[in-house]
Amino acid sequence: MIPLALRLTVAGGREALTRLVAIVLAVAIGVALLLATLAGINAVNAQNARYAWLETGFTPESRTARQGVDPLWWQVTGDTYDGKTIARVDLAATGSHAPIPPGIAHLPGPGEFYTSPAMSALLRRTPTAQLGDRYVGRQVGTIANSALPAPDSLVIVVGRTVADLSRIGLAERVTAISTTVPSSCSDCPAAIGINANGITLVLSVVALAILFPVLILIATATRLAATRREQRFAAMRLVGATPRQVSLISAVEAATATVAGIALGFPLFFAIRAPLAGIPFTGAPFFPSDLSLTLLDVLIVAIGLPVAAASAAWIALRRVQISPLGVTRRVTPRPPRAYRLIPLVAGILQLAYFTVVGPPETTGGQTIAYVAGFGLILVGLICAGPWLTMTGARVAARRARWPAALLAGRRLADNPQAGFRAISGLVLALFVTSVSVGVITTLVAAAGPSSGAATSGTMVNYFWRDSAGQLVSSVPSVPTSTITNLNAIDGVTGVTVIYQKPAVRPDQAGPDGLVLCAQLTQTPAIGRCSPGATVAAIDSKFGNGFGRRSTFDQAVWPSAPITPEALAALPVHVLVVSTNGSTAAVETVRTELENAFPRRFPPDTLSSISPDSNRLLAGYKQLADVVILVSLPIAGCSLAVAVAAGLTERKRPFSVLRLTGVPVAMLRRVVALETVVPLVLTATVSIAVGFLAAQLFLHAQLDQTLVAPGPQYYVIVAVGLVAALAILGSTLPMLSRITGPEAVRFD
Amino acid sequence: MMLEAREITFSFGQTVALRGATVIVYPGEILAVMGPSGSGKSTLLHCLAGILVPDRGEISFAGQRLDTLDEGARSALRRDRFGFVFQFGQLVPELTAQENVALPLLLGGTSRSAAMGEAAAWFSRLGLDGLERRRSGELSGGEAQRVALARGLVSRPEVLFADEPTGALDSLAGEQVMELLTATARERNATVVLVTHEPRVAAYADREVIVRDGRVTSAVSVAL
Amino acid sequence: MTVPLTLLSLLERQPSHGYDLKRDYDTYFGRGKPLPFGQVYATLARLARDGKVLAADTEPGGGPDRKRYVITGEGVTEVAAWLAEAVPPEPHLQSVFFVKVVLALMSGRSAEHYLDIQRTAHLQRMRELTELKRTGSIVDALLADYGLFHLEADLRWIELTTSRLDALAKELAS
Repeated sequence: MIPLALRLTVAGGREALTRLVAIVLAVAIGVALLLATLAGINAVNAQNARYAWLETGFTPESRTARQGVDPLWWQVTGDTYDGKTIARVDLAATGSHAPIPPGIAHLPGPGEFYTSPAMSALLRRTPTAQLGDRYVGRQVGTIANSALPAPDSLVIVVGRTVADLSRIGLAERVTAISTTVPSSCSDCPAAIGINANGITLVLSVVALAILFPVLILIATATRLAATRREQRFAAMRLVGATPRQVSLISAVEAATATVAGIALGFPLFFAIRAPLAGIPFTGAPFFPSDLSLTLLDVLIVAIGLPVAAASAAWIALRRVQISPLGVTRRVTPRPPRAYRLIPLVAGILQLAYFTVVGPPETTGGQTIAYVAGFGLILVGLICAGPWLTMTGARVAARRARWPAALLAGRRLADNPQAGFRAISGLVLALFVTSVSVGVITTLVAAAGPSSGAATSGTMVNYFWRDSAGQLVSSVPSVPTSTITNLNAIDGVTGVTVIYQKPAVRPDQAGPDGLVLCAQLTQTPAIGRCSPGATVAAIDSKFGNGFGRRSTFDQAVWPSAPITPEALAALPVHVLVVSTNGSTAAVETVRTELENAFPRRFPPDTLSSISPDSNRLLAGYKQLADVVILVSLPIAGCSLAVAVAAGLTERKRPFSVLRLTGVPVAMLRRVVALETVVPLVLTATVSIAVGFLAAQLFLHAQLDQTLVAPGPQYYVIVAVGLVAALAILGSTLPMLSRITGPEAVRFD
Repeated sequence: MMLEAREITFSFGQTVALRGATVIVYPGEILAVMGPSGSGKSTLLHCLAGILVPDRGEISFAGQRLDTLDEGARSALRRDRFGFVFQFGQLVPELTAQENVALPLLLGGTSRSAAMGEAAAWFSRLGLDGLERRRSGELSGGEAQRVALARGLVSRPEVLFADEPTGALDSLAGEQVMELLTATARERNATVVLVTHEPRVAAYADREVIVRDGRVTSAVSVAL
Repeated sequence: MTVPLTLLSLLERQPSHGYDLKRDYDTYFGRGKPLPFGQVYATLARLARDGKVLAADTEPGGGPDRKRYVITGEGVTEVAAWLAEAVPPEPHLQSVFFVKVVLALMSGRSAEHYLDIQRTAHLQRMRELTELKRTGSIVDALLADYGLFHLEADLRWIELTTSRLDALAKELAS
C-alpha cells in the first residue's frame, strides 16, 4: 500500500509535481521560521544566562560566607556613552583565593582593567576626557565572549583598592560569582539582564503572526490540482479502495512533502541564522551560536511535523468521504452561517475584558492571555472571511447593474469559501501589520519626540536618596573645584545647584528644591524664576515623570522666602549642567560628574529615558518590520498559488460560457471582481480589527491610547494591495488561452 | 439469485431517482438495464454495486444484505468480487495502464509482482500488446475502455457492472468492447449488469429490463 | 390484409355507415390513396358474412350505402386478438404498426402496453441477429448489422412515440 502511495505522490505528471514542489517550498519556509522561533527562545535564555555574573552582589548565593574563599569587594554600576549602556564592575580582592568573574584569567589589580572587545574599540576612538578618564589604569586584557551578553556589549572590569571601594560605599562583599539567571532573581535590579518572560511573550505572538500566513500558504498549495486528485481518488474508490486506504495515500503524500520540506527548511534556517542574530529584539543582538537548537527542538520538528501533516491529511480526508462516482455531480457547498463570526467576536471581547479588568499579574499569565486573544482573532478572521464574502457578494449581486458583476456576485455567493481562500493570507498579513504598526507607533510616540538640543544637552545629577522616608543627600556639599572644572569644559554653558527644601518627603508632589535665581539663568532648559525673585522653589522631577515630553523650559518657578545665605547651608539636592548638546560636551561632563560623585547609575540628560528601553523599542521596531516584511510576501505567494489554482477550476465552466458567446473581456472582469470584492471587504475588516486589537492591548497592558500611524503604513498597505492586484492581473491574459474550445472536450 | 434489489427508493436532494424499483439478476446472465436518460438506471446500478446505499428498500448479493454493510465492507466487495467498466473517468491518470489493471489486486494486498503479472496476462488477450506502460491520457478511447475492461476482470469478479461502456466510442470500437466483454464474461460464468440506452448494445445481453421514472418494468412475454 | 381488420377496429368505436368508415380510413390511414367504395362495401359484406359485424338497414330497401354496421362480440374478440399480437419485425412495418398504435389509442386502449410488447419482440430479434454476427461469416455479419440498424431505428421511433402518447391521445380524442 505504501509503495503504491509513494508512486502516486511522485509520478503524478506535471500538475501533481508542481503541486508537490509548491507544498515543499511552503513547508520549507514554515520550518525555517519555526526553527528560528525555537532558536530565538534558546538564544534569549542563553543570553540571559550570560548576564548572570553581573548580578553578583545582589543574590544571596554570592554573599553567603564560604570556607577557604577570600571575599571580593564587588561594585557594579551602570554607565552610558552616547546612548549606549556600559556595564562597569569595580572590584578589589582581599586575598589570593578570591572568586574570579568569567571571561578573564586573573583579577585586575588596582590600576588595571579588562574590557570587552567592543569597549576596547570604543575607548580607542574616543577622546579620554569623554570616556577613558572614567576608568583609572590601563587595559591588561580582553573579556572573553563567554562573559558577554552580546557581541557588541560594552563591559569593563576595573581593579581597585579596598580602601577606594569602601570610600565610595556601593560595593558588596561577595564570596562567589552569581549564576542566577536575572529573570529568576527577585532582588536583582531590573536594568541588568533581560525580561526573558516578556520576550517570550513577544516571540510567541510574532511566531503566531508569521506562522499563520505560512500555514495558509501550505493549505493553498495543497489545494492545487484538487479536482484531479478527487477524480483519482474517486477512480480508486470505484475499484474498491476503502476510505481508509484513500486517507492513507493522502497521509503518505502529505508526509513525503513535509519531509522534503523539512530537508529544505533546515539549511534555510542556517542560512538566515546570522542575519537573524543581528536583530536586537532583546535590546542587544545575539551571537549567531546563541541561535542554537536543542536535540528536542530538532526531534520535534523532524518527527513531529511529518506526523502532524500526515494526521491532518488523514483527518481532512476522513471528513470529506470521497464518493466512487467522483466529481460528475457538483454539489453546492453549504453556505456559511452567521455563527462563523463567533471566534472573531470572542477574541475581541477577550481583549476588551482585559481593558476593563486589567491584565493578568504574571508575565506568564499575560503571555497566555494575549496569545489566546490574538490567536482567537486570527482564527476568527479565517472563520468569518467566507461569511463576509458571501454577504458582500449577495449585496453586490442584488445591486449589480453589469452582467459581470452579477455573475461574479452569484458565483461568489455560491462558493464563498473558494473566493476567500485566495485572499485569506493577505487578510491575515494586513491584520498582523496593522497591529504591529499600531502598537509600535504608539509606543514610539509615548516615548516622546527626539528632543531639542536644550533638553538633550542638559545633564542632571541627583544627590538625594530616600532613607527611611526621609530625604538625605549623598554628599555634604558640591566642591567648588568641581564647579570650576565643569565650567571649564568646552561646550558647557552653565552650572546650577539645587538645594533640598526643608521638611520635604520623598514622595511628595510639588517643588522639592530651592535654587538661586542668579544661577538658574545659566540653565534655561529647566525653566526660569518668576520676576523679582531671588530664590525660587523648583520641582526636581521637572514635570511629570522622567523623560516624558514636558515643557521644562516653559516653567516659571515661584519665589521662595529664603535668603541666599541660608540657601548655601542646605543639603544639595540636584546638580544641573547645561551644555551645547554636543556628544563631546555631554560625555566630558558625564566623566567629570562620575569621577566626582560615583553612583549606581550615571547622570543623564533631561531627554533620556533609560537608554535600555530606547534600545528595546528599537529592537521591537525591527521585529515588527521583520514580521511585516515576511508575512506580506508570504501572503502574496498564497494569493498567486490560489489564483493559479482557481484558474484551473474555472477552466470548464468558463469555457462553456465562452462557447455560448460571452466575450473573454467580460470573463476577465468576472475573475477580477471575484478576487477584488472579497479582498477589499475583508481587508477593511481586518485592518479595522487590527487597530481595534492594538488599541485594546495598549490600553490593557500599557494604559496607552492608539496613535494614528504615519504615512509609511499607508504606503505599505497600498503597495501590498497593488501587488496583489498585479498578481491577479498577470493571470488574466492567460484566461483566453485556458478557456479555448479544446477545454470543453470531455475525457 | 445473484443480485436482488427490492423496492429501492433513492433521492439526490430533492430529485427522486428511484421510487420502489425491484429487479432480480440471475447468476451467469447478462442483463441489460435500459431506459431514457434521467430514468434512474445508472442509480439502480450504483445501488446494486454497493456504491450508493438506497434510502429505502433492500439489496441482496448471493443471499446476503448489501445495503446494511458499512463503507469498508462494501469497498472490499467492490474490490474482490465486483468489476467495473464505466463510460469515462475511471482510470487513475498517474498510473500506467498495467498498474491501473493491477490496482484492485494491489489494493487487496497482493504483492506487486504477482499483481503486475496477473495484469500483464490480460493485455494480449484484449489486443493491447505494447501498451502496458502508457498513461491513460496516451490511449485511444477504445484502448482505454479495454484497459478498463481488463481491470474489471483482473480480480475474477462474480459480477461485472458496465455503465454505458461504449458511450464515448465509435461503432467499431464499441462493437469490439462489447464482444470482448460478453465473451470473457461468459467464459468465466460471470454475471453482467449492463446499463445502456442503445438497443444494439442491449442486444448483447440475454435479457433486458426497462427503467422508467424510477421504476422497473420487466420484459413482457411475447407471442409472435 | 389489414383493411378488414382496420375497418373492424374502426367499427368497434361506434356503429357507422360505410361512408363514415371510408372517410375515417382515408383521413387517418389513406395518405393519398383513398380506399375505393367498392372495396369498403365488399369488405364489410365479407365481415358480415363471417359474423363479425351486423348490417342493419336504416331505410327499408336501401343499398349497401344505406346500411348501418355494428360490430359483434366475435368482431370485438378478433380486434382485441389482432391488436394484442406483435407484428413480425420486418423493415417498413411502420405502416402496420403505426396503424395499430393509432387504433389502439382511438379505441381507448393503452398504446403503451403495445409499444412495450413490440419493443420486446424487436430486442429478441436483435439478440438473434447479434448471435448470428458472432457465429456466422463476415457476410452474415454485414447482413445482420443492416437488420440491426433498421430495428434500432424502429426502436427509436417507439421510444419517441412512447413519450408522445399523451399528446397523441388528446389530439385523437378531439
